[in-house]
Amino acid sequence: MAESLHKESKVIEDISAKFKIAGKVQRERRVWVTIDKDELIALCNFAKGLGFEHLSAISVTDWPEEGTFELTYHLWSYSERILLTIKTKLDRANPAVGSVVPIWKENAQIHERELHELFGVEFEGNEDLTPLFLEDWDGPPPFRKDFDWKEYVRQQYYDQANERERAYYD
Amino acid sequence: MVEQATKMKRLINAIWIFNWFNSCGFCELIPLVGSRWDMERFGMIITGTPRHADVLFIAGYQTLKSIKRAQVIYEQMPDPKAVIALGACTMSGGMYWDSYNTIKRLADYIPVNIYIPGCPPRPEAVFEACMKIFHHVGAVPPHGRKFAKAHRG
Repeated sequence: MAESLHKESKVIEDISAKFKIAGKVQRERRVWVTIDKDELIALCNFAKGLGFEHLSAISVTDWPEEGTFELTYHLWSYSERILLTIKTKLDRANPAVGSVVPIWKENAQIHERELHELFGVEFEGNEDLTPLFLEDWDGPPPFRKDFDWKEYVRQQYYDQANERERAYYD
Repeated sequence: MVEQATKMKRLINAIWIFNWFNSCGFCELIPLVGSRWDMERFGMIITGTPRHADVLFIAGYQTLKSIKRAQVIYEQMPDPKAVIALGACTMSGGMYWDSYNTIKRLADYIPVNIYIPGCPPRPEAVFEACMKIFHHVGAVPPHGRKFAKAHRG
């Protein structure tokens, strides 16, 4: 088993030599790294240099109790066949992070636009953060866990005085 | 009125349909297009552009974004025109009744002539709605908008 994870360990060695962070080989072809948000862009640049040229996805996890957003970048290397997962945490009150659009171009653009509209994360350096789906939206970012969407819908669409819609308020 | 009635006769021979379907909406019409129910034998033909269409089929939930496009499509259709709304989503939001991003009643945004209930509606129900158009088309004023306004009160 140890030999078969050689190339995965190599990725972590390369990264920890430069960034002083510990990574973890999750299993075959899966590597996880957690980094401070100030070093994120540098690490992404470095990872692309290692061959992680495809950004599969960016996702946000909302942790309201901790007051953080956790950003997860999934990077794929076609040459090594490894999925590198980079995680970083942002302050929930001020969720700003550097944009990776200069690194992965259009690949990153669509994800950053989506996360901006659904979680309100600011990607500094991204020129075009116009909403993807929510045109004319005036509520809070809807995927935040503290967004009471049921209450929002009641106010926006339904009328408690209407007998046929009273059931929506029960 | 005579002129309007003549205009409406065109609808009686055949209705040309433009489809505007979101999400699972098109599942509702696929059986009709196929050979078993075969809508073309009744003169129902799907067109590629709203400018050639008499009837607009709207199915599935409409999001805040897609309803604007649907309104543009409706405006592009020549008079006389009718709107048929398929499925529970167009009537009440369906299973998306508590979604922040979908509209709840299609008639609040577009004049709807006929709602077809069901999730999805049976093909026979769609036929029945179209037969109602064929049968009562003479009684429908040519401007769908006025018709809908009068009936919404």
